Amino acid sequence: MSIQLEKLDNYRWRIPKTGQMRVPGLIFSSPELIKMLHKDQSLTQVANVATLPGIVKQSLAMPDIHWGYGFPIGGVAAFDLNEGIISPGGVGYDINCGCRLMTTRLSASEIGPLIKDLVSAMFKNIPSGVGSTGRIHLSKSDEANVAVQGSAWAVKNGFGVSEDLERTEDYGTMAEADPSVLSERAIKRGKDQLGTLGSGNHFLEIQVVDQVYDPEKAGVFNIREGQITVFIHSGSRGFGYQICDDFLKEISKKVIKEKFKLPDRQLACARLKSNLGKRYFAAMACAANYAWANRQILMHWAKETLLESLSISPGELGMKLLYDVCHNIAKKELHTVEGEQIVLCVHRKGATRSLPPGHHLLPEIYRKVGQPVLIPGDMGTYSYILAGTEGAMTQSFGSSCHGAGRLLSRSQATKKAQGRSIRSELEAKGIFVQSRGKKTLKEEMSDAYKDVSQVVEAVHGSGLACKVARLRPLGVIKG
Amino acid sequence: MDSDKQDFIVLNHTADSGIMVCGTDVRNLFEKAAIAMMQIMVSCKHTEKTRTIKLSLNEQDLPGLMVRWLGEILYLFAGEKEVVSGIRIDSISPSHLAATLESVPFDPDLHEILCEIKAVTYHQIQVVEKDDFWEARVIFDL
Repeated sequence: MSIQLEKLDNYRWRIPKTGQMRVPGLIFSSPELIKMLHKDQSLTQVANVATLPGIVKQSLAMPDIHWGYGFPIGGVAAFDLNEGIISPGGVGYDINCGCRLMTTRLSASEIGPLIKDLVSAMFKNIPSGVGSTGRIHLSKSDEANVAVQGSAWAVKNGFGVSEDLERTEDYGTMAEADPSVLSERAIKRGKDQLGTLGSGNHFLEIQVVDQVYDPEKAGVFNIREGQITVFIHSGSRGFGYQICDDFLKEISKKVIKEKFKLPDRQLACARLKSNLGKRYFAAMACAANYAWANRQILMHWAKETLLESLSISPGELGMKLLYDVCHNIAKKELHTVEGEQIVLCVHRKGATRSLPPGHHLLPEIYRKVGQPVLIPGDMGTYSYILAGTEGAMTQSFGSSCHGAGRLLSRSQATKKAQGRSIRSELEAKGIFVQSRGKKTLKEEMSDAYKDVSQVVEAVHGSGLACKVARLRPLGVIKG
Repeated sequence: MDSDKQDFIVLNHTADSGIMVCGTDVRNLFEKAAIAMMQIMVSCKHTEKTRTIKLSLNEQDLPGLMVRWLGEILYLFAGEKEVVSGIRIDSISPSHLAATLESVPFDPDLHEILCEIKAVTYHQIQVVEKDDFWEARVIFDL
């Protein structure tokens, strides 16, 4: 299927409404990034999402859009609660995959040559890798509590402080979670994966603040040049994958019976007001809460590792959570459509919430400057801190990008890395890496991703969020 | 599991990965798809079978059956830590599949995980009969 693109300006391209599309598509991009999109099927996926019942305004794609399954990665779509749908494929298997950034009092000069030892200590203390299990083994009732309480469960059990909760999207707890809708399989897979990083593109990085773009916002975020930060990217692990799989199976059968015309079976969806739609929402919320608890625990262990490895006091380390955001989720949110305030179910599949200054959902500490928007890059370049804007509310249902976005498939990346030592290349740039998987470094090398700086410039230019600071990795652990 | 690696090709997908498999008939196609997925996920030295698992699956059509079939084998690995080492399809129709699997418990000394497959997706799923063979395309979420 060939997709027609109309350029609106240097940051926006429209896919006109044709065929079964109920609304047009809108891609936020740049002249450099848009050229890459014709190589895969992501534009067709934007058009496919536009055919779903109850979609409001437009089917959107963020500047890091790439080919996913069903929805594109970087896809955002909002649905009416009465007429609209919820789609497990519009959330993804790794429900509430997300990022968390911690600031410290340390400077890069204080870490210096200790970085290698720090990376080794993190690698030892943070369980990572395919199917990794953690140090926590949950009873069935504790697992239900994690699923309902999220980060609050972790804090109650000694992993962090109550101040962390207000520095987490939705305060680390999604309402409407109901563990009674979960399968035995999901419960089994969630039992021993809490406090694990996972594999693939998940990581923990020790970074240095490389550049500050907006000193005022950076001041509120407690960010200064030369400062050490810790960045975690992880999700709901096998617990979330199983929940998505269970409901896709059930919803897919229902769709066939109801004779919904779907352009892609992975877009299987249930009406939000149906019993099945409500059950999926309740299960998805359980996984979202599990993921928040997971990142809260990972942060706690990262802090313990720094204290122990550097032999310093908590006061000297001064580690604080800056913010935690999710980028695979469906949420009921209040938005303004044609002048009217209405609650919509916003799907963000590879997209980050971006709330503007003054938004009522923001904690007092960030209300003046907007929500911290955390954008991880690849392990060889940069990550970014941005701040939410009004532009995101008016254009993208309060959404921004979620990362660099892949450019090469894993096998293409492995092929390109043949004969190279990615580890040595990174070390030459002053980045020390430890990974568990044999192929991880090749599959995850910088060449496999778009230039995150180009993506962030497109986000900044289109007004979906504004740049605050850039972070450079010093040490990386991957699964 | 004995299989020639030429029985399938790995599809390039930007974020994920997929396979294109051919079989002489539907039964052969489903067996080969399962073998291909296992080969992508894990490599194992020869081990004795320790467990026999009977599967009986009902779905509404062949593509749905393919996703479910591979999903069950994936769950055995990801959820039960069982590496499927032998596959026999006892009967198959467009809406039903019965199979006997042999498996061994995952042992990091004997098995090497090559790739984490999070899920078998319905995205662009295809199970089709060509002139004198059957072909399937399956995309995995990595």
